Amino acid sequence: MTPSRAAFAAILGKDLRSELRTLQSLPAMALFSVTTFVIFRFGLDRTSLSGSLAAGVLWATLLFAAVLGINRLFVAEREEGGFDAIRLAPIDRSALFAAKAAALLIYLLALELIAVPIFGLFFLRDLGGLAPLTLVLLLADLGLAATGTLISSMAVNSRARDLLVPLVLLPLVVPLMIAATGATEPLLALGGPGYHRFGTWLMVLGLYDLIFGLVGYAVFDFLLED
Amino acid sequence: MYGKGLRTLSIATVAMLAVGLSLVAFYAPIETDQGFIQKIFYLHVPLAIVALVGFVVGGIFAIAHLRTGNRKWDAYSYVAIHISVIFGVAVLLTGSIWAKASWGHWWVWDEPTLVSFLIVFLMYATYYPFRYAIEDPERQARYASVFAITAGAFVPLNFIAVRAAQSLVHPRVFATANGGLPGSMMLTFLCCLAAIALLWVTLVKFELTAKSASGQVKRLRRALDAPSTSPSSRVAPEVS
Amino acid sequence: MHALLASAPALPLGEGGKYVAGAYIVFVVLLVVYVGIMAAKLQRIERELRELAGFAEQRAGDSAGGAGDAVAGRTAPAGLRGGAPADGSGRGAEQPAVSHE
Repeated sequence: MTPSRAAFAAILGKDLRSELRTLQSLPAMALFSVTTFVIFRFGLDRTSLSGSLAAGVLWATLLFAAVLGINRLFVAEREEGGFDAIRLAPIDRSALFAAKAAALLIYLLALELIAVPIFGLFFLRDLGGLAPLTLVLLLADLGLAATGTLISSMAVNSRARDLLVPLVLLPLVVPLMIAATGATEPLLALGGPGYHRFGTWLMVLGLYDLIFGLVGYAVFDFLLED
Repeated sequence: MYGKGLRTLSIATVAMLAVGLSLVAFYAPIETDQGFIQKIFYLHVPLAIVALVGFVVGGIFAIAHLRTGNRKWDAYSYVAIHISVIFGVAVLLTGSIWAKASWGHWWVWDEPTLVSFLIVFLMYATYYPFRYAIEDPERQARYASVFAITAGAFVPLNFIAVRAAQSLVHPRVFATANGGLPGSMMLTFLCCLAAIALLWVTLVKFELTAKSASGQVKRLRRALDAPSTSPSSRVAPEVS
Repeated sequence: MHALLASAPALPLGEGGKYVAGAYIVFVVLLVVYVGIMAAKLQRIERELRELAGFAEQRAGDSAGGAGDAVAGRTAPAGLRGGAPADGSGRGAEQPAVSHE
C-alpha cells in the first residue's frame, strides 16, 4: 500500500470511528431532516407530495442537513492539529481531501438511509420511485462531498466559519440541485415513476462530480501550505 | 508600470464605443420579431459575454498565482473578478429591462441564460465576504485563488445545467439571435463586443494602476517612517 | 448634418424606445459611478502624497538644520495626523482603524 493510500485509509478510519463513538454530526443531520419534513408538512399545508414539490422538499432538506455536516467536517483537524500532521507527513496532501470527502459521502449516504424512508412514509403515496432514486442520491452525494469538503477546508480557517459554508457552498451546488431535482421529479410523479430525461440528468450529475472532484483534488495542496 | 499604455487603451475604447453605438443607432436594421426593443441586445449580450470571459480570466490568473506564488497574479485575479462583477450588475439590469420590454415582467425564470447568469453572479458576489473572512493576507490570497479556480470551472457547468432545465418548448431568444443574424446585425454586434471587451481591459488596467499608486504611497510612507492616516483595505490585495 | 438627422431613427417612444434608452442609460450611469469612485480614490492618493511630501521636506529640513530633535521630529507627524480629514471613512469595505505598516 502506498503511503498516500495508507494515509487515506487511516484518516477515513479515524473519522468514521470518531463519529461512531461520539455521534455528533449524524444524529443532528437526521433529526434536522425529520423536523424539517414536519415543518414542510405544515408550511405547505399538505400531507402528500408528488412530482416537483416532493423533489424540491426532499432535496432542499437534504442539502441543508448536509450543510450541518459540512460545517463540522474539519473542526477536529483544526482543533487538534490534524492539518499540521498532514503537512509534516511525507504523503500526497490530497489524501486528506480524498479521505474527508469519502467520510462526508458516507455520512450523507447514512443520512439518506434514514431520511428518505421517513420522507416516503410522511409524504409519498407510491414508493416505486425510491429504488431508482438511490442512483440519483449517490451521484448527487459524490458532488456534494467533493464541493463540501473543498469549501469546508477553506472555511474552517476563517472567521465566521459557520456563515461562510452556507454562503459560498449554496451557489456552487445549484447545478447539482437542478440536475438532482430534475431527475427526481418524474420519479416521484403521481402516476408512478417516470424517466423523462433521466439519462441527461445523470450525465449532468456525473459531469459535476468529475469536474469538482478533480478541481478539489488538484487545488487542495495549495490550501494546506503554511 | 501599470499606467503605461492606459491612455492609448482608453482612446481606443472610446473610439470603439462611439463606432459601436453609432452602428446601433444608425446602421443596424430594426428586427421584425421584437422591433426596436431588440437593440438592447447589442448592449446586453456583449456585456454578458465579456463578464463571463472575465470571470474565467480571473480563474486563469488565479492558477498563475498558485503556480508561481507571485502575489501580483492574485491582484490581477481580484481585479478581473471585481470588474466582471460590476459588468454583471449591468447585465442583470439591462437583462431585466429587456425582459420587461419583451415579456412584460421585470424578471423571468424562463430565460435560461439570464437565470444561469444570476447564479454565477451570486456566486462571485460571495467572493468579497469570503476574502474578508480570512485574515492572514497570504492565506487570503491563496484561498481566493482556489475560489476563483473553482468558480471558473463552475461557470460552464452551470450553463449546461440551467439550459438542460429549460423545457425545449420555450423559444430560445439567443439561439435565434446568434444563429440567423443578418450581416449588418452581425457587424454591429461584433463592433459592440469589441468595444465592451476593450472597456473591460481598460477598466482592469485603470483599477490596477490605482492600486499600484496606493501601493507606492504605502511604500513611500514606510520608507519615510511616517505614520499612516488612512485605513488599509482587508478585502482587496495590495499591488506594489 | 441634416441628412444624418433625417436618417437617424428618432426614439420611437411608443414602441419601447424608452426601454432601449433606459438600458443604455443604466450602462452609462454605472460607468460614471465607477469613474466617480475611482476619482475619490485618486483624491485620497493625492492627499496622501501631499502629506508625505510635506513630511519628507520637514525631515530634510530638520536634518539639514542639524537639530535632529526627537521632539521636533515627533510634533510634525502629530500635526499631519491632525490634518487628516475624514475622507477615508467613507469607504465601505475597509477597516475604520489606523494601522501602522
